[in-house]
Amino acid sequence: MKPALERKVARGGSTVAELELRAVLDAAVDAVIIIDSDGSIETFSRAAERLFGYASAEVVGRNVSVLMPEPFRSQHDGYIAHHVRTGENRIIGKGREVIAQRRDGSLFPVALAVGRIDGLDPPRFVGFVHDITDRKRVVEALRRERDRAQAYLDLAEVMLLALDSSGTISLVNRKGCEILGWPEDELVGRNWFSTCLPEELRGDVEALYTRFFDGTVSPAHYAEHEIVTRSGERKLIAWRNVALRDERGLVSGTLSSGEDVTEQRRAIEAVRKSEQLLRDAQSIANLGNYETTIPGGHAFWSPQLYAILGADPAAGPMPVEEYIEHCVHADDRERFLQAWARILREGGPFDLEYRITRPDRSVRHVHSIARVSLDPEGRAQVVGTLHDITDRKLAEEEIRQTQDRLTQFSRLSTMGEMAAGLAHEINQPLTAIANYAQALQRLLAAPADVEQEDLDLALGQISAQALRAGEVIRRLRSFVKNREAKTEIIDPTRLIADMMVFAEPDARLADIRIRVEAGDGLPPVACDPVQIQQVLLNLIRNAIDATIEAGASSREIVLRTRLDEGGDIEVSVEDRGTGISSDVAENIGHPFFTTKASGTGLGIAISRSILRAHGGRLAHRPTPGGGATVFFTLPAMPGSDK
Amino acid sequence: MKEKPATVFVVDDDEAVRTSLRLLLKSVGLPVETFASAQEFLDQFDPDRAGCLVLDIRMPGMSGLELQQHLNDRHSIMPVVFITGHGDVPMAVEAMQAGAVDFIQKPFRDQDLIDRINRALEKDREMRGELRERDEIRRRMSQLTPREREVLELVTQGKANKVIAGDLNVSQRTVEIHRARVMEKMGASSLAHLVRMVIEAHREG
Repeated sequence: MKPALERKVARGGSTVAELELRAVLDAAVDAVIIIDSDGSIETFSRAAERLFGYASAEVVGRNVSVLMPEPFRSQHDGYIAHHVRTGENRIIGKGREVIAQRRDGSLFPVALAVGRIDGLDPPRFVGFVHDITDRKRVVEALRRERDRAQAYLDLAEVMLLALDSSGTISLVNRKGCEILGWPEDELVGRNWFSTCLPEELRGDVEALYTRFFDGTVSPAHYAEHEIVTRSGERKLIAWRNVALRDERGLVSGTLSSGEDVTEQRRAIEAVRKSEQLLRDAQSIANLGNYETTIPGGHAFWSPQLYAILGADPAAGPMPVEEYIEHCVHADDRERFLQAWARILREGGPFDLEYRITRPDRSVRHVHSIARVSLDPEGRAQVVGTLHDITDRKLAEEEIRQTQDRLTQFSRLSTMGEMAAGLAHEINQPLTAIANYAQALQRLLAAPADVEQEDLDLALGQISAQALRAGEVIRRLRSFVKNREAKTEIIDPTRLIADMMVFAEPDARLADIRIRVEAGDGLPPVACDPVQIQQVLLNLIRNAIDATIEAGASSREIVLRTRLDEGGDIEVSVEDRGTGISSDVAENIGHPFFTTKASGTGLGIAISRSILRAHGGRLAHRPTPGGGATVFFTLPAMPGSDK
Repeated sequence: MKEKPATVFVVDDDEAVRTSLRLLLKSVGLPVETFASAQEFLDQFDPDRAGCLVLDIRMPGMSGLELQQHLNDRHSIMPVVFITGHGDVPMAVEAMQAGAVDFIQKPFRDQDLIDRINRALEKDREMRGELRERDEIRRRMSQLTPREREVLELVTQGKANKVIAGDLNVSQRTVEIHRARVMEKMGASSLAHLVRMVIEAHREG
């Protein structure tokens, strides 16, 4: 260009080169400004005039710094001087974005390119200034758009992951990084399959991806598989996938959202397990549960409840009225209805044992426990369990029967031990009867000598003694016969008097006296008299044996009744026999433990269970001065403080 | 002293048995006295009274066996018939060894009991007869002078008058006179009778 500038043309003193330059400058879209090495403006193009709002004449000769805001304005001279002095190049030929200032003081962004016009000394500089306000705005908009998109990506509570066709991670959001345990910049660019998949899955999943990219298959919309985090932890991810396609419609990658369902699965599994556990437990315990709202509404029956009732689960829970009519045993219906009515009225606990009838007519015993709460509208929320206790009931019944048989057996055994005494007791009246009858025969053979008084005596006594023998037999029969336990209200003194019929003959045979000391005005007791007499006979039998064994000089057994400190009736049998040694005391009452050669070892054990059933207890203490006192208590009838 | 008739003493704690026995024995004309316990009987016991004892072997307090022991200690001769119950055989054996005449098991036929009682009364009578005879012999012996007793002893040893005269250093005639007195005082009809009386007198009881 230099040779052109040197050429001069006649018109206006301008050279052709100058005219050409002016035309170029004026045509240029970008503003063109030429300055000298002091920074003074030499040329200011039309575009520069439009851009900065100055007329060329206004600025030519002024320092170019007028076109820029502080602090550049003050420093600009320094920049040029520094360049000229050192030749160091910060801007020349590079171009940069800077801020410019219009005449009206407004600022705007520009792209500035500076060239150095060499060949002149000092050199001049030419600047091309391009207004980038619009570009800046677009870029800014794009940046904001991108930031917003990133924010959305980062906000998403799922992992977002884009893979290109080679399986390289091209995008991952913050949640993804969080789940995978990698920083974003380390993850992007890595191969997804080798980085994040467990080894055993890697092959399969990668093969599948390869087939998406072939277009052989479209990506599964939904899939679940495990991934491995950076720390080696495994997580179960639920994936939703879409294919990314290029402008030709070919699969260029995939975009996937992945949700970490590890915890959810664990929770679901836990719930499933606990439900299974509950079902198993209900099945094992034969216990069902239910919920219902009354009147009519939501109801729930557990599977085991259907099983207990023999009901069809497909039919769903029955309304209560139907349940009462179809399931509750006819004999228990009234009781059920009363209890049910009460809780619906008053709320509170429901606890009832009753029977149910199944569709196949079989009967089961159930125990129902329910809690009822009444809401403000008076509706009852019932939550309850139904326990099939048939097996327990049958076992109880069996135990009761065994217990009864043992009790009976023990009673017979006790009576067997007392047989000699009883035989004597029956022999006495029989002997007397025989004597009277034979005496009568003789008296009547010689009527003249008969005194009426003797006849009356003999005849009266024959019937009296027959009754006496009959009475002994009657008592014996009622004592040993197989019987149901039954409770009577009886005066303890009478109870003992009746029992003495059996005890006394036995004691007499052993030359032992039984002294009865009955307490005064004792209240009556509710008991099965036969069973209590059985207990007493057992104790007396033991006392007799202990007395015989000890060869005791005091051949007396004291039978005492009194009201104890707790208000119970205490009956004690006190002997002066061998006493109870501590090792015997330890085993006393254990079934089959006996110190007697022919004992069954059941007497005390059974006595104990009889008393327990009566709400009493059996215990012993030493008799002062030697021997044992065995005693038992029976609760006195309440409210009978006679 | 007018002797009471032989009496059946019944000891039984069972009133029915006791009373029925009384009537039964009365019906066969036997005098009866009844007692409710062994002690009651012992309290009024008179060894001189004739009769027999019908005793229940089992009684509260003093048993029948114990009463028998007491009576034996008092040298009673009263025969005892025990009444036993079923299964009392061992006790009955013990009673027999201690001198009971018999036992009978309840309930019994009246004739069996009456037979046993009659046998017991018979035995009592015999024994009391023997006792009475022995007492008479002893009474008569007690009336002999010392010299006559010496002669009695030697005579009953079977010594001849001449030997006795030598032993006592008296004349044979004197021995003969004493001997005649002894025979007369003792009421002996013969030497054999006299010997029997001396043996009787030396028996126990």
